[in-house]
Amino acid sequence: MTRLQRSRALRWLCTLATVAALLIVLFPVYAVIVGSFESTETLFSGTYYWLPHAATLDNYRTVIQAQSGNVLTSLIVGAGTAVLALVVAVPAAYALSKYRLRVTVVIVSALLVAQIVPSIVLATSLFVIFHWIHLVNTYPGLIIADGTYAIPFSILVLRAFFFSLPNDLTQAARVDGASEWQTFLRIVIPLARSALITVAVFAFLNGWGDFIFALTILNGATIVPVTLGIYTYLGNYSTQWGEVMAAGAFAMVPAAVMLVVAQRYIASGLTAGAVVG
Amino acid sequence: MNAVTGASSQSVGAGQRSGGAHPSGVRKDRWFTLRRRQQVAGWLFLTPAILYLLFAFALPIVYNVMLSFEQTSPATLADITAPFAGLGNYRFILDDPTTRTAIVHTFEFTVGSLFGQFIIGFSLALLFTLRFPGKTLGRSLIIIPWLLPLIVTGLIFRFLFQLEGGAVNQLLMDVGLVHQPIDWLDNPHLALLTVIIANIWLGVPFFTLLLYSALQDVPVQVKEAALIDGAGAWQRLRLVIVPIILPVIEVTLLLGFVFTVKVFDLVIALTGGGPANTTQLITTWSYNLSFQQFSFGEGAALNNVLLVLAMICAPVYLFLSRGSLRSSSGAGR
Repeated sequence: MTRLQRSRALRWLCTLATVAALLIVLFPVYAVIVGSFESTETLFSGTYYWLPHAATLDNYRTVIQAQSGNVLTSLIVGAGTAVLALVVAVPAAYALSKYRLRVTVVIVSALLVAQIVPSIVLATSLFVIFHWIHLVNTYPGLIIADGTYAIPFSILVLRAFFFSLPNDLTQAARVDGASEWQTFLRIVIPLARSALITVAVFAFLNGWGDFIFALTILNGATIVPVTLGIYTYLGNYSTQWGEVMAAGAFAMVPAAVMLVVAQRYIASGLTAGAVVG
Repeated sequence: MNAVTGASSQSVGAGQRSGGAHPSGVRKDRWFTLRRRQQVAGWLFLTPAILYLLFAFALPIVYNVMLSFEQTSPATLADITAPFAGLGNYRFILDDPTTRTAIVHTFEFTVGSLFGQFIIGFSLALLFTLRFPGKTLGRSLIIIPWLLPLIVTGLIFRFLFQLEGGAVNQLLMDVGLVHQPIDWLDNPHLALLTVIIANIWLGVPFFTLLLYSALQDVPVQVKEAALIDGAGAWQRLRLVIVPIILPVIEVTLLLGFVFTVKVFDLVIALTGGGPANTTQLITTWSYNLSFQQFSFGEGAALNNVLLVLAMICAPVYLFLSRGSLRSSSGAGR
């Protein structure tokens, strides 16, 4: 009986610890959302209000006017990164898992090492190279650069997935006379749909959330993604917290959508990418 | 009987001699073309990825090395090459006090972040292996910090750590821990600590997820056996569980190191490297050299220092991932 009570108490203690952890994890998100509805006076009063104080939509009105173009830009960059990642990664992952090629070890090693390369190293060189071939301040330039986050990760995740596909299916298609390309297109891709969604979601989030390449490869005048817009806001009007918060809330939307839509893929995708072994 | 066998063996022999003309020779030929066809298809499937890796990784890395030996200026940007500078850029960055402190800060930032992330992440992972109400919800929400754009995380923490009207100071004063608000972001002695705290918040989900999935793979029998042998909770953890998941701990710390050395966005949004360069890391200082002072050569030299630092991990990472390298062959058919 006492043993039972003790284990029950322990269970509630665990719940309590989880709640505490979640409070710390979620509070900053909560603070942005609440802050985005506060007036500048409230945010500047020198007191932090834990609960909504005097809600207003002014920040959103200003930000929607100033940032809606940036949201569109970020959507294009995110979608472009997702498309590039799929086009490059899906066939590569298929080849690296289902064909016996001598280069497999070399390519997989290169992909693992590529994940280690710091973005600032690539950004500096890419800026000078892009400057030379006129890709600075263009969508293709930014999307190619953003692919450096998504592509190595995507190939490794998809490769792990393709290993789990039985070879009989592709063999059967070959026996039926399908070409390698038809087998890939008609059999493999439909079977891999869930893995493709995972990869596309992550590539989109990478493109949407990228800041370092937006800061270096764009000149900040014509193409401005949301992240760069927020940074400029932060630098120019560091006093306009309400508007910065509203812009931040906008920038969080895709993450929230992904969390709801792709919940079951996210955790497995993240871990598969990190520990490929 | 004998005659038939003789005839067939003879025909096989003939087939081998005359190549494609004979049925069995055709089979061999077709097998050969199938294999060739697969080799060609495999290479074609790989081509976009190889081109991408060459263009977006190999070329910039090689070009970065070239840049680091060049005397660059805004004017030389129009050309792909600039005058040779020898070791000038390296000599400059090694003599530059800001670069030296940036290297020290990067080291402190990395060690501090990894320490906090590992302790908290492992504790949460252990917590989630127990059964209690709210566990699934906790596990799925814990990854939120990871999904947010880094620049947003930076901006949130800048808001929360404000001197006046920041939530952190408000909490500390409401509880009565401090009487004067703390200047988290503008005090040269505290700013790096603040950046580390924000980065720990950011990195905990990664550690929690990876260590949790490793803990899931510890066989129940092993844990039960240790329990029956009378091992306490701490002994079970230290002597049974940790040794089993050690490979994952190693990979997690290794990747954590790589991710932390790379951190850029968070610091730029939170402090911009200030106050007085006290939160200037290698990454932010390299950005400053290249894109604000337009000394791309010096920035590239510092980039190479960073690259070497990060690449120290590469052999270990490849070694720890050798399972995935090996499974590539043999999985073919």
